[in-house]
Parts: sequence; C-alpha cells; structure tokens
Amino acid sequence: MDYILTARSLGKRYKNFKALNDFSIHVPKGAIYGFVGKNGAGKTTFIRLVCGLQEPSAGSYAIYGTENNDPGIARCRRRMGAVVETPSIYQDMTAEDNLKEQYRIIGLPSFDSIPELLRLVGLENTGKKKAKHFSLGMKQRLGIAIALAGNPDFLILDEPVNGLDPQGIIEVRELILKLNREKGITFLISSHILDELSRLATHYGFIDSGHMVKEMSAAELDAACRKCIRVQASDVRALSRVLDEMNLEYSILSDTMADIFAKINISQLALALADQGCDIISLDEREESLESYYVNLIGGGNRNE
Amino acid sequence: MSRLLSADFAKLKKNKFFWICIIGMFLLGVFMAAMHYIAMQEYGENEPQITNILFSYALVVVFLIPAFVSLFVGTEYSDGTIRNKMIIGHTRSRIYLSNLIVCSIAGLVFCTCYLIGVFAVALPLYTIDTDILKGIMILILCSFVMSIAFTALCVLTAMLCQNKALTAVVNILAACFLLVMSIYIMNKLSEPEVYPGYSVMTDSGEVEVLENEPNPDYLRGTEREIYQFFNDFIPTGQAVNITQAGGMSQSPGLLAAYSASIIIVSTGVGMFVFKRKDIK
Repeated sequence: MDYILTARSLGKRYKNFKALNDFSIHVPKGAIYGFVGKNGAGKTTFIRLVCGLQEPSAGSYAIYGTENNDPGIARCRRRMGAVVETPSIYQDMTAEDNLKEQYRIIGLPSFDSIPELLRLVGLENTGKKKAKHFSLGMKQRLGIAIALAGNPDFLILDEPVNGLDPQGIIEVRELILKLNREKGITFLISSHILDELSRLATHYGFIDSGHMVKEMSAAELDAACRKCIRVQASDVRALSRVLDEMNLEYSILSDTMADIFAKINISQLALALADQGCDIISLDEREESLESYYVNLIGGGNRNE
Repeated sequence: MSRLLSADFAKLKKNKFFWICIIGMFLLGVFMAAMHYIAMQEYGENEPQITNILFSYALVVVFLIPAFVSLFVGTEYSDGTIRNKMIIGHTRSRIYLSNLIVCSIAGLVFCTCYLIGVFAVALPLYTIDTDILKGIMILILCSFVMSIAFTALCVLTAMLCQNKALTAVVNILAACFLLVMSIYIMNKLSEPEVYPGYSVMTDSGEVEVLENEPNPDYLRGTEREIYQFFNDFIPTGQAVNITQAGGMSQSPGLLAAYSASIIIVSTGVGMFVFKRKDIK
C-alpha cells in the first residue's frame, strides 16, 4: 500500500510533559484518515510536527517517503496543505485578497484560478467583505481554500467542524467528500466528534496519551462495530458445528465464546446445541458505535502527565 | 525568498497603520518646517536653519517603529498566517529575513516622508547653505542605518514572542526606557568641565573675581569612555544625537558601524532562536 504519511517512534516533549510518545501512523494514499483522540491526546501536536511548525524530540516521520530530516522535506510540503486549529487567514483582508496573498507565498504566477477556488468552497459571493466579518463556517472554508491554493494532494485538517453549526458541518463534510472523490486528495482529519468523523473516514487512527492505540480501515471498524449476539457456550466446537449447519456468519472469540452476526431463533439454536450436548451459558445482544468502540479501546488509559 | 518578499510587500501595501504613519510623518515634517519658519520670522534674530528641525524624525521613529513592527509581525502570529508560510515549505531564516527587510524599508519610508515634508516647505522658504549639504546627507544616512538597527531589535522581539499585545508592550516600553537612558547619558556627557569664573561687586563696593571652578559631575577617564560608548552605541542614543545635528556623538562612521553590528548580531541571534522555536 502507498502511504502519504508515516511516522515511526515519534516523540515530542515540552519540558516534563510528553505530548507524543513512541507514536506511529500510516496514512494511505487517497484515504480520508480519521485521527481520533480526546482533547490533549496529542493530535494537534502531531499535526504541528508534520507541518514543520515544531521539531520532534525523538523518532521520525516521512511525507511522500521523504524523512523529516531530509532537506527535500520542504519540497514535499509544497504538495500538502493544512488548517491547524484555527484557519490561518488575514482578518483584515477579503477572501480574494487572502487567496492572492497565499498565491504569492506559493509563487503561483497567475490569480486566474482564484474565482474557481472560491466557487469550490462556496465563497464566491463574499465580495469586499473582510474575513473578520465571516461566520465561523465561512472562515473554516476560507482556511481550506487557502490550504488548497497550491493544488495539494494531501490535506491536513485539525478539528475542521469544531464550533460549526449543523449547516456549517454539512458544508465542510460535503466539501471534503467532494475533494476526496473528484480530486483524489488524501485527508488527515483530526477530531473528537466521532459521529461526524464516521460519516467521512475511510481509515481510522486512535490516539491516547500521545501514543497510537490502533489503526484500522473503516471496513475493519464496521466489522468490529456490527450488531451481533455474543454467545457463551460450554463447547465452542459444538457451537461452531451448529452455526455452520444453520449457515450463519460468526466469529469465535475464545474456547467458550462466539459472536453471531445474524438474527437468530434462540429456541432453534438452543435445541440444536442441546442435541450436540452443549449448554448455553449466556446470550448478549451487542452493538457498538464508533463512540463506544473508541471508549472501549481507550478504556482507562493513563495520561503521561 | 522573492515569493515571501512579494507577499509581505503586498501585505504592507494593504496595511492601514503603514499609510497612517506615512501621512503622519509627512504632515509632521510640513508642520515642523512651517512652525520653525514662523517662529524665526516673529521672534528670531537669525534666518531659519533647516538643521534645527530636519532631524527631529529620528526621535519620532524611535516610537513609530516598535509600534509598527509589533503590529505588522504580530499579525502573522495573531492571525496564524505565519503557519501558511511554514506549511508550504519556506525556511524559517527566509521568513525572518523577509519580515526584517519589509519592516526596515517601512521604517526608511517613514523617515523619508518626514524629510519630504520638511523640504516641501523649506526649499521655497529657507535659505539652505550648500556647504552643510554634505554633513546633512551623512547624518541622514546615519539615521537610516540607526532606523534599520532599531527595526532589527524590534523584529527580534516580534518574531520570538507569539503574543502580539505583549510584543507591542515590550517594544514600546523598551523604546521608552532606552530613550530615557540615552537622554540621561547625553546630559552626563554634556556637563561642563569647569564652571566659568565670574566677577561680583560686594556690599563694600569692591569687585570680587571668582576663578573657574572644576565641575565634580564632569565625567573623566574610563567612566567618560563608557558613557560615550553607550551614547554612540544605543540606537536611541544615536537618535538623540542625530536630532541635535550630531550632538555629543563621535564620528558618523562609528555610529553607522555600531548600528551595523546591532543589525548583524540581533538578526543572527533572532534567526538562531526562531529556527528552534515551537510555533503554535
């Protein structure tokens, strides 16, 4: 698999506080990578490192395969854009002037594509209105437009829907999906609004206390979060035979436990198991959302404070 | 670097405070020249001298530059736009230098606008002795280098402090402190070596002649050299001296050399620390 961003044993220390500790990540090309963690988990710290705003205390990361200590990393950064925490926009300038400023910073020879970029983020009618008079959603979209100015193929968005109203959240979500589908832009989106992230992400990384707890694809997460019936039985081999005969999808968890991913007739199952000399010890109906999965995963982890 | 300069100059052109300062400095130049002319016409016995008011801008920019630099560079942090430059791959040295160059040029423009204002009034009204033109030019150039040195110090603070308000307070307070210090140094250096003698008529009608008396506050030896060094070295000291058309300073070349050393050292230190600074 092609990875746009990877990190190995990355560490960042602020005096006595370890913000990142032995952190690793793998962001596949073309993915919308949901970077999940609670406040203070280290999401923004990692993003600051990747954006070159801060230097790691330990370990390394690579963008497009170029290591962070390689002088070529500056060239690689030209292919990425980012909105870190708040949108980086000149409050006293209009949306168009902000984009012109960014075009100059990048060194783009012409401003011809600015109207198209403004249309893309839905800010084409802002005219002479200064950015300080924009709504939070408009500022966020202008921040994304600025990040898109250099035609990047990798975009990092730090809490892009934080503080937005429902309409703003929908607008930003649709913009991200559109850019991912139409332009093939890879996204790394940090968020703790899990419900929103679950509507977008194709991959997930769960961070806690500066450490990557788990990385998985959306398909793997869906499988982990499927509605199921957890059966505890005296003989899991007998249970397996019965479930095979009933043509049901299941997964064995232990010598006595299995998850069944189907609606079942409990009486039929109990009778069939009784025929095999197997007792049912317990039955539980289970359903996990991304939120409950995250809570179970992070559990009672200790912070490095 | 050219891309950063292009972006920063475009930002400067849109900066309201920059244009207010430019207009303010021009009007101040016109006002100073006109008022001096009127005062000389009404009360003076001599012709109005352009050197009496030509260099007053040196003291004004000592306050204008910290305010401008704090706002101009501080906005990069308060709006977060410095991140856009870093994310796109510009090196920190170039970002620092670009800000220094643009702010220095802004400072020079402020000085020039004052001079234009003065000359706009002085050329038709004043009699300008051509013999002093060379001296005027040398002092103007000295003031320009001093202005860049002062800008370099303000940029150092502004680039290392990510809080715009704090930067403004620190820079303006530092300018006030340095100015008071410079005036104190100048006064100490200006102390006469001796109090001149004088004659008095006593009650009995006799004339008593008092001899010259040494001034105990007059600085001598190493102490005087130290005071002289700070008078010439500190940008505000240079500004006070330039305002007085040279004042107690030594050669203009020495002032320029001190300013150049301030520019080089402060920029070197600033870039070194800025490279290692964590940006939020």
